[in-house]
Amino acid sequence: MKNVYMKILILLMFMSGVFQLSIFNLEWEYFRMVQALHILSSVLIATFLLVPYVNMHTYEYMIVKRAKSTSGVILGVLLLFIVASGFYLFFLGNTGGDTIGLISYYIHLYGSFILLYFLFLHAKKKIDFNAKPFIAIALVVGISYPSLSYSSEKLTNIKLEDGVERYHNEDWTSSAKCKSCHEEIFDQWADSNHRHLTGTNPYYMVMENLAAADMGDEFRQWCMGCHNPSAVTTKQKRSTHRMAINDMPDALFEKGSKSLVDELKSHGNSRLEQGVSCVTCHRITKTDSKGNSSYSLDLTNRKKYVFEDSNSDVETWLSEKFINSNPEVHKQSYSKELYKESSYCASCHDEFLPDDSKRQIVSTFKEWEKSPFNNPKDPTKHKTCIDCHMTYLENGKFSPLKGQSTTRGKVKDDIKVHYFSGSNHFLSGLKSQKHAEQTIQLLRTSADIDVDIKDGKILVGVKNVGAGHHLPTGVSDFREIWLDITVTDRDSKVVFSSGKLKDDGDLDIDARPFMKVFGDENSKPVGLLFWRYKKLISDTRIPAGERRVESYDISDAKALKRPLKVVVKLNFRIYPQWVTNAVQRAFPQLPNPPVVLLKEIQKEF
Amino acid sequence: MKFFVYVFIFIILLVTTVAFLLPTKEKRQFSDDGLRTAALSRNMSSTPATYEELLNLVDTPQNRMSKEKIDLGRDLYHEKMLSKDNDISCATCHVLSKDLKDKNIYLKALTSKTNDKTDCVVCHLSDQSATDRFETSVGHGGAKNPFHLNTLTTLNAALAKYQTWDGSVKTVEEQVGLSIQNPTQMNLSKEEVVKRLLLDATYVKKFELSFDKVSFENVQKAIGAYLKTLITRSDYDRFLDGDNNAINTKAKKGLSHFLNFGCKGCHTGVTVGGQSIQKFPLRDYNSIVDVTNSFNEEDKGREVSDFDFNAKMYHPFPFENKGGFMGKDGERLFRVPMLRNVTKTSPYFHNGAVAKLREAVFLMGKHQLGMHLTYQQTDEIVEFLKSLEGDVVDYKVVNKGAL
Repeated sequence: MKNVYMKILILLMFMSGVFQLSIFNLEWEYFRMVQALHILSSVLIATFLLVPYVNMHTYEYMIVKRAKSTSGVILGVLLLFIVASGFYLFFLGNTGGDTIGLISYYIHLYGSFILLYFLFLHAKKKIDFNAKPFIAIALVVGISYPSLSYSSEKLTNIKLEDGVERYHNEDWTSSAKCKSCHEEIFDQWADSNHRHLTGTNPYYMVMENLAAADMGDEFRQWCMGCHNPSAVTTKQKRSTHRMAINDMPDALFEKGSKSLVDELKSHGNSRLEQGVSCVTCHRITKTDSKGNSSYSLDLTNRKKYVFEDSNSDVETWLSEKFINSNPEVHKQSYSKELYKESSYCASCHDEFLPDDSKRQIVSTFKEWEKSPFNNPKDPTKHKTCIDCHMTYLENGKFSPLKGQSTTRGKVKDDIKVHYFSGSNHFLSGLKSQKHAEQTIQLLRTSADIDVDIKDGKILVGVKNVGAGHHLPTGVSDFREIWLDITVTDRDSKVVFSSGKLKDDGDLDIDARPFMKVFGDENSKPVGLLFWRYKKLISDTRIPAGERRVESYDISDAKALKRPLKVVVKLNFRIYPQWVTNAVQRAFPQLPNPPVVLLKEIQKEF
Repeated sequence: MKFFVYVFIFIILLVTTVAFLLPTKEKRQFSDDGLRTAALSRNMSSTPATYEELLNLVDTPQNRMSKEKIDLGRDLYHEKMLSKDNDISCATCHVLSKDLKDKNIYLKALTSKTNDKTDCVVCHLSDQSATDRFETSVGHGGAKNPFHLNTLTTLNAALAKYQTWDGSVKTVEEQVGLSIQNPTQMNLSKEEVVKRLLLDATYVKKFELSFDKVSFENVQKAIGAYLKTLITRSDYDRFLDGDNNAINTKAKKGLSHFLNFGCKGCHTGVTVGGQSIQKFPLRDYNSIVDVTNSFNEEDKGREVSDFDFNAKMYHPFPFENKGGFMGKDGERLFRVPMLRNVTKTSPYFHNGAVAKLREAVFLMGKHQLGMHLTYQQTDEIVEFLKSLEGDVVDYKVVNKGAL
C-alpha cells in the first residue's frame, strides 16, 4: 500500500499547487497560506518520503526485477525535473531577472500536469502506450508559451511586493511625517533634487508633457516610474502640478518644502506626495538594473506602531512615543543593507528605451561597474554611489559629517547626508544656497586640467579624476561641460579663443562639449525628444579615470609675440540655453542656469 | 483502478469544501452584453461617429448645419476681436487649438521663435479639454467670475439640455451671446461685434456664404454650429457600440456601480449629465444636526478628513462655499454636470473647491446617494470615469487653417 500513500501525497501537492493559479483568483490571505503550505510540505515530502521511495521503487523494479516500463522511466525523469525546478524556485526563486528561474517556474507548472498524466498511466500497467506525441506537446508548450521577455520592454517595472494591485494615497506616508524626528535629514531632502523631481521641476513637467504629446499619454509612465512612483502605483495617468486658486504656486523658490509640511497639517495624509519621497527609497525591497524603474516596493507590509497612521495630533504624538521607546522595529522597517550598494541606485540611474533595442539613455550604474571605483576586493578603493553623493563636503573635500540622523539619536561618525548632490546645483540652489554649495564642491572634485603649447597647437588635457562614472553622466545629452580657452599675446591682444557663449546664451559652434548626442534613424539630432533616439551620433564623454587631450590649432603660431598667456577654464552648465528657452515658455519665472567654473588654469609660454 | 475513483471523489469533495470555505466574492451583476443593454436602456448612449449621425442629433431648423457655417464658427471661436480689448477669444478660457489634428502643437509652442503662447496654454493646449483648469474663470480686464464659478467645457456642451452651472440657459447659441456680452467675460456689445466684423472683408465674405448678413444673431448661430461639432468619443462609446474589450473589467465594474448605486439617475443621456437640474447636496447633513460632518472653517481645508465636530456654522456645501453661489433661485439647484471628459476638467464642483476626482466621487456618493463608498468602489467608478475621456471626433467638415 505504500505507493498509494505516495500517490495521495503527489496529488495533494498537485492540488495545492494548482490552487495558486491565477484562474482560481484566490484571496491573498488564503493564497499566501496555500503557497506556504505547498512549498513547505513539498520540501519535506520530497526530501524525506518521495525521493527515497522513488529510489527504492526504481531499485526494486528495474534492477532487482528487471522490469521494463516506459511510463515508469518517463515518470521518473519528470519527477526529477519537477523536484529540481521546485527546489530551484524555493531556494533561488523566479525573481524575474534570470532565465532559469522563469524556466523552472514553467517546468514546475506545466510539468506537473504531464506528471499527473503519467502517474495515471503508470498505474495501468498493461496498456501499451506510445509517449512520444505527449513529450512533443510538452516540449512545444514549454518552448513556445513562456515569453522570456526582457524587462526593459516595459514602460515601468515597478513591482508591488505586497501583492496589492495598487496603493492608495494613505499608503504613501507623507515625508513631512518623518520631519518630527528626522528634522535635519528632512531639511536636506526637502530642497534636494529627489524631492523636486516632478510637479515642482519645470524641466520635468515640460518633458513629460512633451513625451505624452509625442508618444501618447500612456508613455508618461515611462517617465513617471522613477520621477513619480507614488502616482504610478496609485494608477494615476499623469503628473500634476499644484494649483492655488488660479495660480501655480511658485515652488521653484520655496524653501524646506513648506507646502508639503502645511499640507500634512491641513489635509492629513490624504493628499498624494509626488517625487521620490522618504518611503519610496526606504521601502524598496529589491532592485535590479534590467529595465526602467525596476525596483520592488512594499508599502503595506510595514510593521507599524499603534496610531502611526493617525492624523490626529494626540495620536501622532503617542505613536512617536511608542516608536522612540523601542525603535528597533522602526529601524528595520526603513533600512536595509541593500541601501548601501550601488546596485540599489541602478534601478533608476540606468535608463533604457522602452523597446526591444536595449539602447540606454542613461547608464551611470553600468559606467560605475566598469570603473576603478567598483573594486570590492580592495575595500579601500571601492567607492559606491553614497560614498560621494551622500557624503558631506567641506572646503572642497569629502569630510564625513559627524552627528545624528535622528533627533536625540545616536551620534554617528559619517551621517549619510540627503542633499543628493550630483550635478544639478541649479534647481536645488534656487531653494537653498547650501545645496548649491554642496553640489558645486562635488562637481569640482571631478576633473583636472593641464595645458601645453607644442608645434603651434594648444593641447589641453582633461582628466576625469573624481567621478566613478563618465563625465558628464546622467542625461548627458542635456549637460554641457566644455573648455573655454583664451590666448593673449604680449600686448594683451586676444590671438585665440574657443568655447565662448554666444549672445543668445547658446554655446558657440567651435566649443567642444563633452557629451553624447542622440540621433534619430536618419542620424539627425533628436533635440528635446530624446526618446526618439535610434543612433548615437557622438559620444565625447570622459570615462572614469581617463584623460582626454583636446588639440587646437593657432594660426601663425610663430609670428605671435611671446610670451603667450593661456587661460583655460573647464566650464559646466546644467542645461543648454535652448532647453531652458523651451522650458521658460511654460514657466516664465524660471531663471537661466549659471555657468559654473570647475577648473581654471593660467600658463605662459 | 478503484483507488483512483476514490481519489477523484476525494478531490471533488476537497474542491467543493474549499469553495465553501472561501469568502463569497462579490457577484458579477452584469455580463458584458447585459451591462450594455442596461446602460442603453437607462438612456445612456454613445456619441455619433459620423457626420450624418451628428446631424440627426444636433441639426435644428433654426440653425441648419453647413460646412461653411462650421468653418466660420471655428474662426469666430478663436477670434479675439470679439472681446472689448481684443485680447480674449472663446478659446482663451475654453482652451482648444484651432487645428485639432495638429499633433506637434506642443513642440511648436515650446520651440518656435515667434510664438505668443506662454504659461498654462503652452502645456494645456494639447489637452484639448476646452476649459482652463482654473477654480474661477477670468475674463475682460482680469475680472473673475463674481460667484467664483469655473469655466465649463464646451466639448459636448451642445448635446446637453441645459447650459451653465445653474442651468438657466437652454442652448449653446444663447450662451455664446451671453458670454460675449457679459462684463466679466468678453464684455462686448452686440452692435460693436457687428461693427468690428463688418470692417473685416474676409468675415463679410464668409458670412455671405452661410447667412444673409452679418448680425449678432448669426455670430451666435455660427459659433453654435461649430460647438455642435465638438463632440468626443471615448472607449465608453466603443463599448456601448458593441466592443466588449473597449473598456477594462474594472471600468465595467465601475459602470455597473454607476448604474446600481443610482449615479445614472442624474448623470444620464448621451452626455452622461447635463440633462436635468438637481439639488446638491441632496443629503444636507448639516441642516439636521451639525455634529459629524461640518466643515472646519479654521483649517480652510476642503476634504473629508477636515470634517470635524463643529456646531458653530452652517455650511451649504460639503466644501468651502467660496463665491457664495447658491444655484438656481438660491435653492442649491444645479445643472447636473456632464461627466464626459471629467478627467480633464478638474478642479471639481462649481467653485472648483475639490481638486481630486476621487474626492469628488466620494462626496457625490455621500451627499447624493447617502453611501459611504469604499476605496474599491471609488477606484472602480473612477476607472469608469476615465473611460469617458476621449478626443474630439473628426467629422471631416472643417477646412484646415481657414482665415
